Amino acid sequence: MKNDNSKVQWVAPPKLGLLGKSYLMLFLHGLVTAMRHLLFHKSITLQSPDERHAIADPVHYRGVHRLNKDEQGRVKCVACFLCATACPAHCIDIVAEESPWPDREKYPKVFNIDELRCIFCGMCEQACPVEAIELTSFYDLTGASREEMIFDKEKLLSVFDQTKDREPMPSKRVISATTGVAAGGQA
Amino acid sequence: MAKVTIDGREIELPDGVRINAIEVAKRMGVEIPHYCYHPGLPIVGSCRMCLVEAGNRDAKTGEIRMQPKLVPGCTIPATDGLVLVTTGEKVQQARAMVEEGLLVRHPIDCPICDKAGECSLQDYHFKYGQSARRTDVMPFTSRKRDLGDVTLFIDRCVMCSRCVRFCSEVSGTAELMVANRAAHEEIDVVPGFPLHNELSGNVVDLCPVGALSDKDFSYQQRVWFMRQHTGVCTGCAQGCSIHIEENQDRVYRLKPRENQFVNKWWICNEGRYGYHHIHDAKRLAAPQYRNGGKTTDLDWTGLPEKLTKKLSDAGRLGALFSPFLSVEEAYLLAKLIKGIDPQAILAMGPVPTVGEDKKFPGGFVIAAEKAPNRRGVEEILGYFMHKLLTFDDFLNQMQRTELQGVWVSGGYKGPWIDAATARKFDAIPLLIVQDLFPSPLSEIATYTLPGASFAERDASYMNRYDRLQTSRLAVRPPWGVRAEAGLLWQMSGRKGLYSYRAVLDDLCREVLYFAPAAGPLPDVGLDMKINKLAKSGALAAKMA
Amino acid sequence: MLPIALDALIKIAVVIGGLMTAAAYLVLAERWIAAWIQDREGPNRVGVPLTKIRLFGLGQPLADGVKFIFKAEYTPGHVDKGLYFLAPVMIFASALAVFAVIPFGGLLPGNIFPASWGVSEPINLVIAPRLDVGMIYVFAMGSIAIYGVVLGGWASNNKYSFLGGLRSSAQLIAYELPMGLGILGVVLSAGSLRLDTIMQQQAQTGAWNAFVQPLGMVVFCVAAFAEATRLPFDLPEAEQELIGGYHTEYFGIKLMMYLVGEYLHMITAAFLIVILFFGGWHFWGLTGSSDTVTWTQAILRIIVLNVKVLGMIFFFMVARWSWARFRYDQLMSLAWLVMLPMGMVNIAYVAVWQEYGEQLATQAGLPPQIAMAVCGWAVLVATWFVGASMAPPAGDNRPRRTPLEPSFPMNLEIPEGAGR
Repeated sequence: MKNDNSKVQWVAPPKLGLLGKSYLMLFLHGLVTAMRHLLFHKSITLQSPDERHAIADPVHYRGVHRLNKDEQGRVKCVACFLCATACPAHCIDIVAEESPWPDREKYPKVFNIDELRCIFCGMCEQACPVEAIELTSFYDLTGASREEMIFDKEKLLSVFDQTKDREPMPSKRVISATTGVAAGGQA
Repeated sequence: MAKVTIDGREIELPDGVRINAIEVAKRMGVEIPHYCYHPGLPIVGSCRMCLVEAGNRDAKTGEIRMQPKLVPGCTIPATDGLVLVTTGEKVQQARAMVEEGLLVRHPIDCPICDKAGECSLQDYHFKYGQSARRTDVMPFTSRKRDLGDVTLFIDRCVMCSRCVRFCSEVSGTAELMVANRAAHEEIDVVPGFPLHNELSGNVVDLCPVGALSDKDFSYQQRVWFMRQHTGVCTGCAQGCSIHIEENQDRVYRLKPRENQFVNKWWICNEGRYGYHHIHDAKRLAAPQYRNGGKTTDLDWTGLPEKLTKKLSDAGRLGALFSPFLSVEEAYLLAKLIKGIDPQAILAMGPVPTVGEDKKFPGGFVIAAEKAPNRRGVEEILGYFMHKLLTFDDFLNQMQRTELQGVWVSGGYKGPWIDAATARKFDAIPLLIVQDLFPSPLSEIATYTLPGASFAERDASYMNRYDRLQTSRLAVRPPWGVRAEAGLLWQMSGRKGLYSYRAVLDDLCREVLYFAPAAGPLPDVGLDMKINKLAKSGALAAKMA
Repeated sequence: MLPIALDALIKIAVVIGGLMTAAAYLVLAERWIAAWIQDREGPNRVGVPLTKIRLFGLGQPLADGVKFIFKAEYTPGHVDKGLYFLAPVMIFASALAVFAVIPFGGLLPGNIFPASWGVSEPINLVIAPRLDVGMIYVFAMGSIAIYGVVLGGWASNNKYSFLGGLRSSAQLIAYELPMGLGILGVVLSAGSLRLDTIMQQQAQTGAWNAFVQPLGMVVFCVAAFAEATRLPFDLPEAEQELIGGYHTEYFGIKLMMYLVGEYLHMITAAFLIVILFFGGWHFWGLTGSSDTVTWTQAILRIIVLNVKVLGMIFFFMVARWSWARFRYDQLMSLAWLVMLPMGMVNIAYVAVWQEYGEQLATQAGLPPQIAMAVCGWAVLVATWFVGASMAPPAGDNRPRRTPLEPSFPMNLEIPEGAGR
């Protein structure tokens, strides 16, 4: 390290007076702060699961994934792998197959999401060209084994059934003009 | 010598080079986009994507005269004084118009199209197309038609007719044709005569868009997930250059790699789809030990050292060299066996042959000999034995000399030995068989060792025209399998991990025939016949 | 006289039972205090199993213990097996063994037993009474605990554990010295190494050593914090940079032995501070000061001693959240450059006072205790500020390529006190 480099900005520690060097004020300050909190403490803990978090807008919350269904109850996904491509955690595993329906080329035979690997960034939702994958407001998912936390197609579709009324798909959403918050219900 | 000017830069072409403007531009690092032009096919100039401004420089006065209209680059021969402009506004406008025209009735179903990611239409649109779409045709699903060996997505097609020309010129079968006219043009086959020939897979590679879909690959994997590895096809003695494409240790497809000395731009269907045995569940999965009627699965830990010891204690040794072994492996094995028993008998394993060589009008050849490295193994055996023993010779010698230990290398893609022949090995006290699949021989072997497939190792093969090419490791062998090369490397007492280059260097030093392979091998391989020329040259010098 | 073995066994049972329970519930108390200082709730869930009764989380220590004990017992493949098992046993055993000489009360009257037993003399509430090398024994055991830390770091075969072990061995050895110097003053004035004699002496004069030897108290307290590896001196564990230090590779019952051992060290430190500097069981007007006790006095003495110890432990816990952890170079310079000289000054002061000061004060007609206290505080303030002005515990730790190269540009003003 050259000392004459003009680009290097040297920072010296602040100068201390005798009282500062004696460590007394720091000693007292720390002790007083700790005691103040101890004696007049106000807990900010939320007693989960007795109390639940208030989620302001379930549509925008990034929780457990769901696979959306179309009007005929079929999976909307076309197995394009774009979510798997966008996924930074590599948690989406798709096996594609030729679809049995005439209006669709491909559909996912297997669609697994490793919820333990997922970082809930929501990029899959943004990457999806057919609004098939979305993140719901379920946040407290638990499981007894790793295998249980790999959600397959049926499980992801059942999440849709549970949340479709509360959190409609983007194409079914009505944005409130006054609050700007998405609300449920048909247009 | 021809002097060509492209975008103000000059290039000089040697005499006798007959190429068109697209190829000249490519040599200068300038890309002229094109759909219908392919170096291996006749030129039709139909796609209009390669339109450029062209002109001529007068040799005497130096005056440049440009042609008033844009000219397709593929039809311009590179002659002296040619002047091209590929970046002008006129050219850019023309390209954007072609792109727009192609996309008017294109389904834009890229998310479900297998070509997405390596599609010329997609790439050129990002580079040369317009950002906004002026038609009101919304994305839709393409119509689909089964053409026989491949599936046609009718609406994705840009009518470049590469596939039609391939079938008429290279495979010579001419199944495909262009039906209807103008906006209703479609690729089609005559009813009752589907696309079915031994080179049909190439039309999928040729297709610049996703119109032709490989039935083997379709829907399997997105192309951007796959990694490409340099490989050599082991289907026949031609040794075509290929790319092995894999993702997470699973091979999804093989594609031809351009090699003007061997396969040009093509490979046959047999080679293209000849990778399924890699992921066959029937493959040998763990080393086994047989004593009497009892079979026990073994662990690799300490096994190589144990095998070396068993071989040392056995007495007279013999070894069968499969033509599927690479030259490195054959050398390591020969050196190992000869090191233990200098009197050992080394012989060539059976070389599978099916029918006759097939030659296609485009010059492509499928060899009858279905093994990649007969020549390489022959040269190595010739060096160590001074006499080439065939499989039958070996069987005779085996009975005559009462071999105590025999090493059999397999690696064949299918059954290669019948039960009657296998029974002749019954009397061998120590029979070690390394193979891909269970066979009558592996059933009676003292030690059965699982071997690696061609995609699972670094291996050099010498084709029947003495061209040495290296195929690089693409996927890791399945759990429990050790590649022959690594095993032999360890058994020879070498330290560290297997390096094909280190073995090849030793081979070059020891065996004169392989001397030209010292130093890096080019991607297109090295013609070892150069050695024969040197030899005859030396002979001629001596006689003189 | 009660058979000496039976006497000792009963006391050992009382001490170990009390200590284990105390350690368990002190963990809970520490977590509560930590939570409250950080505006949280702390453990409040574990109560009666299988019911909704939560009991403010009082079941937590039990649940923790059960969890530690029933955790899968597993030995990492890369450890030195013998030392790996020995290390936690060593730290735990030595921490318990210290309590052989630490009184947990004053005296009990001898008339607790039937007259036919022939026990008449009062019972000393310490496992090994009348041990003349008491303080030295405490130090010896405390030093053995260092082996537990060093061996744990070494046996783990993990570079972070090893660094943690190295750092803590350096730290613990460095602070043994100020600790010893802090005690010497007390020993000098009491004339004995026996802890009950030291308490007795403070009770008789009524002047606790904290008042008459404040400098010694400061030195000893700081050293005791460091020896107990409590914040702000918890560098051996240093969760942030050493991921737990020497006990990174430990878990289950072995980790519990480490953690309980550390808690025992803290309790030991609290006992020693109270006994040496805060009068032990003595409180003015409550406990008396004589060698013979009544039942009321005996019980009062036990209560006073333990309340003082709990108060000290409370201070230990609050201190954890009051100050930031020292940097390692600061820690070392504090030990060698500040605490060691201060301890020496303290001995000199006590020695001089013993030799001359007491006579001078008596001749001048001043009460000797008050005179000594005034002198002691004057020495403390003087030493503190002289030390502060000479050697602040902040060093310059900027990187330098060679030892000779100045670590900051010469054309800049050298910060005062830096580059010492």
